[in-house]
Amino acid sequence: MRHGLLVDVSETTGVRLRAPRQRISRKAIPYWTVRALPGWLVLLVGEVLFKVLPADPPGAWLLIVIIVTAVLALVHLAVMPSWRYRVHRWEVTPTAVYTQSGWLDQEWRVAPLSRIQTVDTERGPWEQLFGLAKVTVTTASAAGPLHIHGLDLEVARGLVDELTAATEASKGDAT
Amino acid sequence: MSEHQVDFAPAPSLNEPPEWLRLNGMMVIVSPLKEVVRAAIPLVAVFFAGGGAHSWGQWLSLAGVAVLIARGVTHWATARYRITDDQVELRSGLFNRKTRAVPRDRIRTVDITSEWQHRLFGLSALKIGTGRQDKGKDDELTLDAITRTEAERLRTVLLTKTSTAPSVVDSAPVAESELVRVDRRWTWYAPFTLSGIAVVAAAFGAAWHFANDLRIRPDDITILRDGLDLVGTESPWVLIPAAIVVLLLVATIASVLGYILSYWNFSVAREQNGTLHIRHGLLNTRSVSIEEARLRGVEVKETLPLRLVRGGRATAVVSGLRTGRGDERGGGLLLPAAPVAEAHLIAAKALREPVDPTTAALAPHPRAAQRRRLTRAVASVLALALIAWIGYQLDLLPFWVWLVFLVLTPFSAWLGHDRYRSLGHTLTHGYLVCRSGSLVRETVALRSDGVIGWRVHASYFQRRAGLVTLVATTAAGRGGYHVTDAGTSQALAFADEVVPDLVAQFLEPAT
Repeated sequence: MRHGLLVDVSETTGVRLRAPRQRISRKAIPYWTVRALPGWLVLLVGEVLFKVLPADPPGAWLLIVIIVTAVLALVHLAVMPSWRYRVHRWEVTPTAVYTQSGWLDQEWRVAPLSRIQTVDTERGPWEQLFGLAKVTVTTASAAGPLHIHGLDLEVARGLVDELTAATEASKGDAT
Repeated sequence: MSEHQVDFAPAPSLNEPPEWLRLNGMMVIVSPLKEVVRAAIPLVAVFFAGGGAHSWGQWLSLAGVAVLIARGVTHWATARYRITDDQVELRSGLFNRKTRAVPRDRIRTVDITSEWQHRLFGLSALKIGTGRQDKGKDDELTLDAITRTEAERLRTVLLTKTSTAPSVVDSAPVAESELVRVDRRWTWYAPFTLSGIAVVAAAFGAAWHFANDLRIRPDDITILRDGLDLVGTESPWVLIPAAIVVLLLVATIASVLGYILSYWNFSVAREQNGTLHIRHGLLNTRSVSIEEARLRGVEVKETLPLRLVRGGRATAVVSGLRTGRGDERGGGLLLPAAPVAEAHLIAAKALREPVDPTTAALAPHPRAAQRRRLTRAVASVLALALIAWIGYQLDLLPFWVWLVFLVLTPFSAWLGHDRYRSLGHTLTHGYLVCRSGSLVRETVALRSDGVIGWRVHASYFQRRAGLVTLVATTAAGRGGYHVTDAGTSQALAFADEVVPDLVAQFLEPAT
């Protein structure tokens, strides 16, 4: 039995993965921005201190490094969060969980419901601030956990309930 | 070797409530002996080479050894184990009482290790593993140590799955058929495994670290200084080939010695109760038993030098086996370096297949994958050459270093080409087979029902080239096996072929 089949792989020359149907919360954009900020700040402040503090500060090359860092930081902070928001999606079908994530490097993960072992939600301090949650779906493989970042808390809770009910219905030790 | 049974309690009966048993009393001698031997080289060096200036360090390292010995003896004094009808239990600890219980129906592997200190007293350490990759070390239970006969008996008892457990207590040794035994002549494949170079590098690193700790500089040792002075006058054109010859010689000796020590009497046998029994070792012996039902596939590894002499190694891909180092991590070694035909033979026998699936013809990957491999191989060497050249301009490196990288470029390009030639995948007789690598070429055959999910990875450059890396996730071995740089459609169609009705629902026609 085929579920929600869109194309028959064997008869098509070119196929690709379609995007999962569910988007994540829009609040993920400010969340990712705020989370990326401290790293860049620490780097920039360190560089500036190194330029200002010593009695005999390094020459022009450090100034170039500082400018390059600042430009990279601005581009990263401006581009990465909204790019991620466009990419990050998820979907649960009657047989599988499907996620898409990343921005420059992208990754799609598929796990059959019958192989799921645990479903967790996790909320770091920044996530709590924005009312977000991360859902992690693990299988028996050390390489295969699915992470869904930036979900609204209610959506995450509903998803966990749904997946827990679905996996309790299936039997076996899922290896 | 005599069997000391000092305070050995009577054999447990599984009918009555079993008694708690102690570990073997000889451990009072064995565990301090182990710690002292392990600490011997640093201790001797600290006391004699270090001179009087480091007395603080001397006392600290002595105290460290004393703590380790005390811990070993305490563990023996407090540890009690028993095997009930349902589970294996181990209690231990003086201040921090720990109880660990492993349900017997979850036991997948039994690993019996006897280091030479154990063997002096006829002892063995027995380690029980279950099949949970996510739990890591928490899911193991080690009895260190019990007598060898007791270990063998427990191995049989624990691996025999019967609903009426009591009948197996006084069972005779299980009948087994040998699948392979390593021929002594195969030792000559050892130098081709690159393991010798790793050993030399590790030894050099350890010596360096140690000398650093003691603030010994090579200049302080007269012989070394004279040697370095002599060498320093030679031109690099003599020095580099000479260094390579010395390195190869030492690596060869190290790898042959390592092979003999580790894989002496290496054999794999199949037992009637459905386990694979792997035994090897000269001074330290090891016996690993793997429940056959947990076997998910095999992996054949060929290093570049091994391929030149048609050699290879075979590893079992087993769920729940994460003990051991290097080759053995994530799977039981089925055959160390040997003729590759033998590796394929044991792989086929272990899987109970007429032919080894890793020998199947593989579908090649698109030309774009070749461009990617070549670009990466050449660009990385050229980048190193550039860095070395800048280093030379800044007076940090001698002139010839960047030339060496430049000279390496054709070899690196060939390596990139060879890496492309290695790439391939197919589905044969219910096995997913994929191959990659050049310096270490790895061919994996994974049972398709062992695939428990997919990951599809595409970097920015892969997307532009229309390529993806498909990862089959599994509970066995390394957890994920990579089909590197396959065409997007090719990879997705393959995933659908291996596990029907899973990814098909997420596909759409490419525009």
